[in-house]
Amino acid sequence: LIGGTEERSLFSFQLLVAALATGSIYALIAVGLNLIYGTMRLLNLAHGDLVMLGAYAAYWGFSGLHIDPLVAIPFIGLLAAGIGAAAYLFLFQRFLRDGARSDRIEANSLLAFFGLSIAIENLTSIAFTGNTRAYQYLDQVVHIGSASILGNRLAALIIALVTCVAVLLFFRFTTLGLAVRAIIQSRDAAEIVGVNARKAYLLSFCIGFGLAGVTGALVSLYSQIWPFMGFSYTVAGFVIIILGGLGNIYGSLIGGLLLGALETFGVAIAGANYRSILIYGVFIAILVLRPQGLLGAKSTAR
Amino acid sequence: MKHSSEVRVVIVALAVFIVAVAGTLTFGSGYLVDVATTLAMWIALSQSWILLSGMTGYVSLGHVVFFGLGSYIAVLTFGTLPLWATLGLSGISAIGLAVLVGLPCFRVRGPYFVILTFGLAEFVKYIVIDIEAKASKFGRLAIGGPDQNDVFLLMAGLALAAFFLSYFVGRSRFGAGLRGIREDEVAAETAGVPVVRLKLIAFALSALIPGIAGGVFLFRTGYFEPMQAFNPSVSLSMITMAVIGGTDDAFGPLIGAVALVILSELLWANAPELYTVILGLLLVTFVMWLPDGIEGQVRAWSRLKRQPA
Repeated sequence: LIGGTEERSLFSFQLLVAALATGSIYALIAVGLNLIYGTMRLLNLAHGDLVMLGAYAAYWGFSGLHIDPLVAIPFIGLLAAGIGAAAYLFLFQRFLRDGARSDRIEANSLLAFFGLSIAIENLTSIAFTGNTRAYQYLDQVVHIGSASILGNRLAALIIALVTCVAVLLFFRFTTLGLAVRAIIQSRDAAEIVGVNARKAYLLSFCIGFGLAGVTGALVSLYSQIWPFMGFSYTVAGFVIIILGGLGNIYGSLIGGLLLGALETFGVAIAGANYRSILIYGVFIAILVLRPQGLLGAKSTAR
Repeated sequence: MKHSSEVRVVIVALAVFIVAVAGTLTFGSGYLVDVATTLAMWIALSQSWILLSGMTGYVSLGHVVFFGLGSYIAVLTFGTLPLWATLGLSGISAIGLAVLVGLPCFRVRGPYFVILTFGLAEFVKYIVIDIEAKASKFGRLAIGGPDQNDVFLLMAGLALAAFFLSYFVGRSRFGAGLRGIREDEVAAETAGVPVVRLKLIAFALSALIPGIAGGVFLFRTGYFEPMQAFNPSVSLSMITMAVIGGTDDAFGPLIGAVALVILSELLWANAPELYTVILGLLLVTFVMWLPDGIEGQVRAWSRLKRQPA
């Protein structure tokens, strides 16, 4: 995936750039997942499939309509946000309306997302075949200091980082962002002081899905896409939100970069076959040692 | 047995079982035995799923891991061990895995368990593939196993055992504790329900059946291949069957398994992807609009009929 240098010394600048490239993508995925979990306690098992749909949108935009992927990215994000709004309004709103059975929301919504995920994957496979696809875009090697990176990978890295910073600023400084964070912290208290929970839910769905779409378009710049690619992104996203703390937005950003680094350096040391063993290892370790996440306080789980 | 209704259910279940099995073996063609084996397998698997996920609300998305592990253990041990020991080991290893992964997850509340099960089956699948590749095995044969009629008998027996297991767990104190966890875990714990222990026992019991079923399934196909034994669509099917039928007691999975085996016989051979899409959409539809399944719906109707307003 990284530009063709054979430089293999550990802790090189090359690996750092690679870690940042993977980590920034992971961070975007995890923020979207954690937003929806944090505000509504819904685990979006179809998150990776939205990434996949975003990747297909960029692919078809480029190879079918000759739209520059970098131009298409904001529109793909908006489209995905629209899907998020529709999913909230037509499907998931009904779960959240019924407060009395809230303890079953988690289990039921999971199953619904699971069904959606399977349906999306297989429908995509029926529509576009199960073959892998890719397109050529910005595929010259760029040199930054001692590191070399493909142009498309660098573009994805920069846009992902800019988007991460934008998310950070949004949740830190805007009223809407603060409202969503207030809902995550305590829904009842936030509603008492006048935060509209339903608006926050809708917004979380839009931002979460929108980020997934953008991430997919970014991934399609440099990697092959296929209908079942979403699964591994969902799993990585879950591990990160555990790592950074459930419902902790900043934790997800940091956790994403951390897992990107762990994966890049781990694979460099042990080989690509150990990628999933590594990710599960991190998951189990967090579960046993620090279930509240690296940054979380003792009581934040649930 | 305390209640006459329980005696009635046991007698009816045994009668149906004997008639169905004897009928299939006496009058059935090879095709009928084949479909009946499939049906028995899905009844057993979906029963095992409700034992944990239906009763406690802790959703397992990767139950196929026990099925695949059972199959793997069976192909490794069959030949050196007699059939009963092989199947026993399949079940025990599934329980072992359940306890191993359940122990850290069930200590903490929240979605940890689900996240773990979501990818666990894939994780174990790739480990098995890795082991097999290092041993340069590409699929293993199980030669000299029971013939297809015996496989059917084993599977049917397993289905009956699974039905009784979830039926009696559902009616026991233990089952009441599990349902308490589903409705409000904090309240259940406060009321003295040992939640961690109950969840672990339920998970172990719920792993046992797919473990043995995986072992029996090996002799149905005669060979082991990781991609097939750990196929995620097995998890999807058992979940969807349970949800369609109803997840609260042993009758739901029975209804769901019959419905989906018929659908699968119609669709699977010609359009496997379409079948999977339909499973996914059925799952969404039932969870959203009919969360109590067909069984719950029927019960609601009969209650309305019995008590006219």
